[in-house]
Amino acid sequence: MKTKKLVSLALASMMAVSALAGCNSTGTPETTAGGKDTEATTAAPGGDETTAEVTTEATKEYADDEIIDMTMFAAMAGKEKNANNEIKEIIAKKTGVRVQESWLTGQEAGEAIGSIIASGKLPDLIDGGDGSVQLYESGLLVPWDDYLEKYPNLKEMYSEEDWNKFRMDDGKIYWANVFGNIYGEDKTTGQNGEAFWVQIRVLEDAGYPKIETLDDFFKLLEDYAAKNPEMPDGTPVIPYTALCEDWKYFCVENAPMFLDGYPNDGCVIVNVDDPSNPKVVDYNTTPTAKMYFQKLNEEFNKGAMDPEFATQTYDEYIAKLSTGRVLALCDQYWDFAYSIMGPFAQVLEAKDGSKYRLDEMGCEYVPIGLKAPGVSSQAYYGGPELNASSGCAVTTSCKDPDAAFRFLSQLLDQDIHDLRYWGIKDVDYCVDENGLYYRTPEQRENWKSDEYKAAHSCEYSYCPQWLGTSKDGINAMQPQEQVSEFQLGMSEPMKKCFAAYGAETYIDFLGSRDYKPQNPWYPLWSWSNSIGADTDYGTVWKKMAEVKHTWLPKVIMSKDFENDWTAYQEAYNGVNPQVFLDAAQAEVNRRIEAYGVK
Amino acid sequence: MDNSTSKSDKNMEDLTEKSGKKVDYFALKEQQESKFNSKGSAVSEAEAEAMKKAKKIKDKPKFTVKEFKRQWVLIVIGVVYVIYGIIFNYLPLIGWIMAFQNFKFAKGIFKSQFVGLKKFQFLFSDNNFLMVIRNTFAMGVLNLVFSTVVAIAFAILLNEVRNKYFKKSIQTISYMPHFLSWIIVVAIVHDAVSNTGIINEILLKLHIVDSPYNFLAEPNWFWPLVTLSHLWKETGWNAIIYLAAITSIDPCLYESAAIDGAGRFQKMRYVTLPSLRPTIIILLIMNMGNVLNAGFELQYLLGNDVVRSVSRTIDIYVLDWALDGRNMDYSLGTAAGIFKTVVSLTLIVMANYVAKKKGDERLF
Amino acid sequence: MAETEVTLNRPLKKRKKKMATEDVIFYIFNTIFLLLFALVTLYPILNTLAYSFNEGNDAVRGGIHFLPRKFATKNYETVFAKESIWIALRITILRTILGTLTSLFANALLSYILSRKKFLFKSSLSLFWIITMYASGGLIPTMVLFRYLHLTSSFWVYVIPGMVSAFNVMVMRTYMGGIPESLEESAMLEGAGYMTVFAKIISPLCKPVYATIALFVAVYHWNAWFDAMLYNRMDPQYTTLQYELMKLLDNVSTATSGQVSAQQAAQTGGASVTVTPMTVRAAATIATMAPIIALYPFLQRYFVTGLTIGGVKE
Repeated sequence: MKTKKLVSLALASMMAVSALAGCNSTGTPETTAGGKDTEATTAAPGGDETTAEVTTEATKEYADDEIIDMTMFAAMAGKEKNANNEIKEIIAKKTGVRVQESWLTGQEAGEAIGSIIASGKLPDLIDGGDGSVQLYESGLLVPWDDYLEKYPNLKEMYSEEDWNKFRMDDGKIYWANVFGNIYGEDKTTGQNGEAFWVQIRVLEDAGYPKIETLDDFFKLLEDYAAKNPEMPDGTPVIPYTALCEDWKYFCVENAPMFLDGYPNDGCVIVNVDDPSNPKVVDYNTTPTAKMYFQKLNEEFNKGAMDPEFATQTYDEYIAKLSTGRVLALCDQYWDFAYSIMGPFAQVLEAKDGSKYRLDEMGCEYVPIGLKAPGVSSQAYYGGPELNASSGCAVTTSCKDPDAAFRFLSQLLDQDIHDLRYWGIKDVDYCVDENGLYYRTPEQRENWKSDEYKAAHSCEYSYCPQWLGTSKDGINAMQPQEQVSEFQLGMSEPMKKCFAAYGAETYIDFLGSRDYKPQNPWYPLWSWSNSIGADTDYGTVWKKMAEVKHTWLPKVIMSKDFENDWTAYQEAYNGVNPQVFLDAAQAEVNRRIEAYGVK
Repeated sequence: MDNSTSKSDKNMEDLTEKSGKKVDYFALKEQQESKFNSKGSAVSEAEAEAMKKAKKIKDKPKFTVKEFKRQWVLIVIGVVYVIYGIIFNYLPLIGWIMAFQNFKFAKGIFKSQFVGLKKFQFLFSDNNFLMVIRNTFAMGVLNLVFSTVVAIAFAILLNEVRNKYFKKSIQTISYMPHFLSWIIVVAIVHDAVSNTGIINEILLKLHIVDSPYNFLAEPNWFWPLVTLSHLWKETGWNAIIYLAAITSIDPCLYESAAIDGAGRFQKMRYVTLPSLRPTIIILLIMNMGNVLNAGFELQYLLGNDVVRSVSRTIDIYVLDWALDGRNMDYSLGTAAGIFKTVVSLTLIVMANYVAKKKGDERLF
Repeated sequence: MAETEVTLNRPLKKRKKKMATEDVIFYIFNTIFLLLFALVTLYPILNTLAYSFNEGNDAVRGGIHFLPRKFATKNYETVFAKESIWIALRITILRTILGTLTSLFANALLSYILSRKKFLFKSSLSLFWIITMYASGGLIPTMVLFRYLHLTSSFWVYVIPGMVSAFNVMVMRTYMGGIPESLEESAMLEGAGYMTVFAKIISPLCKPVYATIALFVAVYHWNAWFDAMLYNRMDPQYTTLQYELMKLLDNVSTATSGQVSAQQAAQTGGASVTVTPMTVRAAATIATMAPIIALYPFLQRYFVTGLTIGGVKE
């Protein structure tokens, strides 16, 4: 065992050497090749430095037998780390705790938490996701309250006001959501939420117009498709598609909320025309909803909307997007973008034998903040969302809760936080003369590889973490938010498009980074996600979804829109949505009461 | 041995004279029984009938001390199995209490609040639940019928193959799809019936349709697609039992049938099928109890919102309702489980009764 | 006895030589039909195989049928790069062997006593087991029970609870019921007990059905993962092959009510939401399928040999 550790340490420092060589010999992040070939020769000078660093660190290290092993279960899908993951070992030496994470497999969160409770074998740390309340009700969690005072790092995560949102009915805090928590200046680059996305070649072709309404949007798509009906390989383009698979139908379903200019409260619109009296409005029955579905219906009958939209599976949807044939869609970024990056970088062969790449021909997507006519501003980017209904928790099975909280706190130390998200200095990232972190293309590739990440990186992604600006004041807490990194990764057409619109990040396409000040109830979906069917309004909420699932594709594919729309609205009103809306209104009022009026 | 042959001869003649499936089967069954029982002596049908009755009486177990003593080994073994069954299969049934509760983990099975029949009322007051029962039933029955018929047909046809290697290869290939997950199978089915898929391509080429037909958006096509997918994936696997059963058929029966001039199809009909009868009946009765378990994964993966009204099964429905963000509603799931158990047991008791009436092999 | 066999077989072989036209037509059609059937069932396998050897990013675009478009072995490397897969393989082999042997014995013995026509509790015991096929207490009570029996966090949870399967018992019982009673009777007259009859008379005749059930049970054990997840979630030393693969494959986020925090998705690097490439899925499928399919030809000879009940009639 000892020898194995030694070997891995040696291996780590050797890798440090070679990668450092890469940084030194190339100097600037733009250069790609060469690092590898020169590594042997230039290794020496940099090598000393690294070893020196390792030894100084070593003084405050925990010995092997002092390290406590803990388990963690997150009721989310995720990737497991290898047993002797390199950064995990480094973090273990620094914190004295090593955590083995396991994830949700083939079960729903509530189901998994239920079976864990029944089996009586709890992990030390847990993120119960949707099943969190079960854990609390069964008395299996350790309250954070005492430890918050002891570990200021943890306390610092939220304001007193926000911490209060986590308090359960016994007045104590049992978990902390770790996501969307911004330190210092907001560095968000991506629009991870929902938007209408359009390929940049379509915008380029039309001379980068300003598109604001659905009508303009579809006209743009139709015009482009008429001019360029085929891909270079001869397959026809699809002007617009949508995904209706199971719960992912939200991209079809909730667009009227955004079109009306409201942020993603998820279940309803909260109208603030009268700020003293926020009013819950059902976005399914608004004139905008009708206008939107009528437009989709019109496009469907014109053939501009993918005829298979209602029957395609998620895999097929991704496959379709990966061919670059789809000009536009409405979706949340994470739901499609990560999956198509790889295929877009492939070299393909056109009908005439020439080679092309989809990202180079401008098939990548940028967000557009469409609005219904008469709506003054939009809120596709709603800022960080605090979901207080679940988060990282310590269980009563943990033999040393203090060590667990100490560990969670230490994870927020800047050096460990950097290890988690940036990796090892000079191995996974380099630092330029201004202290700015960057990655060489090789390093960037490494961090895209699942195998590399399984063996090397250790994010502890469901433990406390920061977004925003690093404590050094220069870098982003997490690499995906480093603007320089973000821009480096862009293709040529993308850069042109960004320049044409004067945008630095995706958010800029949707207007200003200064999102509307958040209301105390935001996001309301943290409530609607956790309501049970054992309540009246919960039952109604489910029935509303059932009606929408059944009717929305029908309405879009209808030959007689008016008739079907009326029938849909009748069926919808038949389940008495008012019961749910009243409950939503009550929750909004409760949150205003509890979290203060703004 | 010669006697046996001549007996079979006689029966065969009888068979060829009679018409109508039913009678033939019975005659054949007789023939088989007499094969085992009469040890080769020629018996007329009437005699066989009498013997059968006598045998029944003889077989009727008598609860006497002597009999107990004689089969104490069997009884001891039986007791061990009962204990095992009670521990692993019957004890968990205590959980059925949950169906009458508002089960909460914090309180546990014995302390959760009782709500009587509320969960059942909830299920049966929802029109959608009645709809999913219909769907489940329909797909279950379609599946049962077609998978049985096709698997038997496949087993018999495969049995006719003379070349050993061809036979082995086909058999091995046929059961391979069983190991594919539904995700993969559904992906291929989707691919085949999509607008650009092979089926539409053929239909377009043959000018049967003018524009691609979207099978997946057509509720009428959903059940057939489910049945076909099942057949595709499981026929080879389902045939294994029948193939094993075919190997147990006494070759003499084929011999004698051949001597009597029975052709290939007659042999299939009068020898193979009747010999498979006990196996078929037992499997049918058992699977009858499974029609309400017609599925989750396949329907869930193959279905979509357009065909929602025909694609959703009980299991999908229950999962949908039982998973309500906050808690898993085990009570609702248990209630649906009890409903399914009751229906299943009713069905197999009925099926068993019918089999018993007809003098067939039965389950209990 | 051998004599009879020969006399019986001879005429058949002679007949075989002069096949009737009807037979010839039948054979041709049968062969064509079976070939078509084989092709149709082979397609998904070949398709999966093609995907498994195709480069991942290329395959996302679809349209691969029989052959890979961009050949790569990376997918298999990904599958086997997983460290835990080797532990899982060991456990899976162990449980498959142990599980199949114990289960086969347990099922066979129960089938044996249930197929004894004079057994006093034949019907009641059958019913007792048949009910277990359709009535289940569900996940939670079972978990609680196993917890009290100390079966959680243990290897034995794979072997002990599922030993008896009513379905398999019924299949075996039917088969055993077809074996002439006379055999049992004569053995018993010679002083053999029930267990001797089971071991020496019945079992040898039951090879085909034993092979069938062994295959069913072995395949079940080979593919099992749900029990590994439920009962040994926190005990990686008892993981199984399919569970490891499920973990590899099943990382589509399963949010139920339609809202996943966008930040959460982004901060986990899309890891919680990106689907494992279908090529890796395919490679994993092929990798697990291969060993169990290889088992079949070994069992197959029992199906081909079959019974020669005719021989024991004398």
